[in-house]
Amino acid sequence: MGDKTEVWQGTLALMVLRTLEMLGSMHGYGLARRIEQTSGDKLQLNYGTLYPALLKLEQEGFIRSRWGLSENNRRAKYYELTRAGQRQIKKAAAEWEQTTAILARFLNPAEEA
Amino acid sequence: MGKLRALGLRILELFRRQRAEDDFAAELESHIALHTEAGIRSGLTPEEARRQALIYLGGVEQTRQAYRERRRLPWIDSLLQDVRYGLRTLRKNPGFAITAVLTLALGIGACTAIFSMVNAVLLKSLPYGEPQRLVYLFTPNSSLPIPPDAFSPSYADFYDLKRESHSYASMSVFEQAAFPVALGGSVESVPAARVDEFFFQTLACAPELGRFIGTDDNQPGHDKVAVISHSLWRSMFAGSDDVLQRSLTLKGERYKIIGVMPPGFEYPTGYDLPDGSGATATHIWIPLALTPQKKAEREFGNGIAFARLRAGVSIREAQAEMSTIVARLNPLHRSDQLAQGGGLSALIKDFMDYAIAPVRPLMWLLFGAVSFVLLIASGNAASLMLARAADRTRELGMRVALGAGRWRIVRQLLTESLLIGLGAGVLGVGLAYLLLRTLPHLDPGNIPRLEQASLDSRVMVFTLCVSLLTSVLTGILPALAVSRVNLSDFLASGRSGSASDTQGRSQSILIVAEGALVVVLLTCAGLFLRSFAKVSSLETGFSPSTVTMNVGLDERYREPQQRRTFFQSLVARVGALHGIDAAGAIDWLPLTNSESMGFVWVDGYQNHADQMAEGRLVTPQYFRAMEIPLLAGRFFTEDDIDSPAPPVIVNERFAKIYLANRNPIGARISTDDTHTHWNTVVGVVADVRHFRLEETPQPQMYSPGYDFNHAYLAVRSRLPESIVAADIRGVVKSLDPGLARGDVSTMGSRKSEATAPRRFQTSLLTFFAAIAFLLALIGLYGLMAYSVSCRTRELGIRMALGAQRVDVTLLVLRKAAALLGLGLVTGLVCSWIAARAIKAFLFGVSEHDPATILLACGLLAVCGLIAALIPARRAASIDPMQALRAE
Repeated sequence: MGDKTEVWQGTLALMVLRTLEMLGSMHGYGLARRIEQTSGDKLQLNYGTLYPALLKLEQEGFIRSRWGLSENNRRAKYYELTRAGQRQIKKAAAEWEQTTAILARFLNPAEEA
Repeated sequence: MGKLRALGLRILELFRRQRAEDDFAAELESHIALHTEAGIRSGLTPEEARRQALIYLGGVEQTRQAYRERRRLPWIDSLLQDVRYGLRTLRKNPGFAITAVLTLALGIGACTAIFSMVNAVLLKSLPYGEPQRLVYLFTPNSSLPIPPDAFSPSYADFYDLKRESHSYASMSVFEQAAFPVALGGSVESVPAARVDEFFFQTLACAPELGRFIGTDDNQPGHDKVAVISHSLWRSMFAGSDDVLQRSLTLKGERYKIIGVMPPGFEYPTGYDLPDGSGATATHIWIPLALTPQKKAEREFGNGIAFARLRAGVSIREAQAEMSTIVARLNPLHRSDQLAQGGGLSALIKDFMDYAIAPVRPLMWLLFGAVSFVLLIASGNAASLMLARAADRTRELGMRVALGAGRWRIVRQLLTESLLIGLGAGVLGVGLAYLLLRTLPHLDPGNIPRLEQASLDSRVMVFTLCVSLLTSVLTGILPALAVSRVNLSDFLASGRSGSASDTQGRSQSILIVAEGALVVVLLTCAGLFLRSFAKVSSLETGFSPSTVTMNVGLDERYREPQQRRTFFQSLVARVGALHGIDAAGAIDWLPLTNSESMGFVWVDGYQNHADQMAEGRLVTPQYFRAMEIPLLAGRFFTEDDIDSPAPPVIVNERFAKIYLANRNPIGARISTDDTHTHWNTVVGVVADVRHFRLEETPQPQMYSPGYDFNHAYLAVRSRLPESIVAADIRGVVKSLDPGLARGDVSTMGSRKSEATAPRRFQTSLLTFFAAIAFLLALIGLYGLMAYSVSCRTRELGIRMALGAQRVDVTLLVLRKAAALLGLGLVTGLVCSWIAARAIKAFLFGVSEHDPATILLACGLLAVCGLIAALIPARRAASIDPMQALRAE
């Protein structure tokens, strides 16, 4: 159970960071929608789980938040990347690519031969 | 890095709660609003849009909970919750909380105080580098009745050993001395040491100021330099910086001060030295500066030799090497009487052992005693908590019914006992502080560094650990008992009861164990008290009211005639003072930690080469001044002193051993190795306990004379001690104002000083035994009172059915008696085993002394029954009608 959430959280964290890198700054709801869209609506996100993930990233210093106004003048909390967050994206992306590459060798062993 | 930062922030969050909570509530609100707006835009009704938003979110409360758990540290949160809850329940029941905390505080306080002593005496490191590598060297002659560590090597042997040994990184030799020094208006005798150039290097210590005594300083003629102690620097030079430009005048010679030692360095102290004698602290170090002739002296001198082992060399290896060297040196001692018989052998002893070994058993004994006290206190606290847990069955059962896990309940109860334990720890530290404050008044003077006992960080860590341990010890039993509460039973009965059976049994076991521990402690205390009484009532052989004072002559008195004249006029003038009955002098007074043994050869006896007797030089009036009874013959007269063959007086034991079955008066004794000079016995006096109170007197032999370098004046008078002391001082001052002030005390207070170590251990042990005893009685009382209160209904029914009040009283008492009896039997077995550990501490009483053991058991049995009688009588006064109606 713990392992599974860990992987899931790790992936979600990378998705959030990456999405923020593209959007610059966004509130929680926007992020959730954007992640769903990016996944081609393949990912059913329970929006509630996004907030602890955002808090964790903020605690780790990868993102920061401030209150702002949305496009239709509603108060919302906006998140944006920090420098540490940008470094973290590179690091996590590299790790992720390595993991998928390794896994790919197991799933398609024929190509190796 | 990020993880650490997150942890720090989460810990910080524990202290700010509301703002962040509100912030997130607002964020969620805005999330829902944004989502709802989007839903409305896509054509949903506002209600439907909001419903959808909530579904997608997965519930507001759930999200907030998940967020909260991420924001803070959940386990600390629940711990804090337990603590808050625990504090609240304890506050609701202050009687219980106060009793438990006080009980444990007593145990923890006693433990902390004794541990800080153990810490200061045994655990703190000495002010020498790597002290475990330091050793003393001896060349004992085991065929003589002299302790092996009285044989420090002669100077010639020392330098031969030094030349031929390879086991040591450094070797040093020193002599003890004392100098009159003008301090604060009066002349005081300050302990000093004459040391060679390797002394400080061997001890591996560094001066606080200046430098050490070096090789150049140890050349005769260049040796007028001195190193002083930190405290002398403070008292004599007020800690001034220019101390290195100053000098000390010792016996008329100026010594330039070249160094100051750091605080705490006062070696040699009495504790560190092989013979256990000497000054308690040394304050002046001057060069030993041996001449070549002195270095070549083969006869035993005053030097004390010690060395630092080379790294990796064991005492055994060094000893083996030394043995072969000493065997080679032995033939050089042919003319030395002390080397006759089996000859000299080699002995290497651990330096630390001298400083610590003699008091180690006492320290562990006291520590053991306080551990017992702590165990008993924990037992009482556990018993209290068991009782309380039984009362709380309903509350805890309710929590279980509402879904609290078993572990959660155990954790809650452990948290409460932890609160009690920590509270007791804090209070215990306060108690320990008070105990340590009274320690200096009890200081027996033979425990090194006792005055350094303090509540330092190590003691604090110890106390914290002890508090935690006792918390767990006292909390675990009740916690487990309660967590076993059977939910269906609880719900079915609707009241407490199911747990009380096992709890009653646990409490009974606790009381039995406490009783056993108390028997052990009481027996030990009893044996100590009896030993102390035996020592106090010992026949010392002298009168306690005799006033004594030491008088030491200095270098100005070179000629024997000068010394004789001084002491003759001193004794005569003091004896002639108003109100003085008799005045005498002796070279080594009883109980002054000094011994002088000599060879004796008795005419008409089967003599052996190694027979020895204690020899003393006394003035004619000495025996009268000390009130030493004359058993036969006569005392010395002034005429005896000038006689060409001065007579001698022997003690009873001497007469019994060497002059048995004949008239001792007129017997002849020789003390020289060729047996050419003979002394005639003119009197036999009673035995005197010279060296130690607890040692049977040795054969003793007194010679008459006034030729002392250093003597003790003994004065018998009807006047108060202070007046006599002032009178004697006045006479000494009028004879020679330049002499150091001697210490005055009565023989009675010397005896009391000699019994101080025993008084110290006896009073501490008795004190702890009394606390333990009291705690166990309280425990027994508490248990009986509690069980009576639980059985009110049952007892009421019994009485309603015709039981007499006496029957009810007996019923309760019978249970108490059963517990006490079990405790006593267990305790007897335990104290039989424990007796072995205390055997060495006893004097004149067997470790299995039946009277003491019976008394201890009787005391516990009687007081225990009295403690149980109060609840028993309360049980008997139950009104059956009321007891039944109360249901």
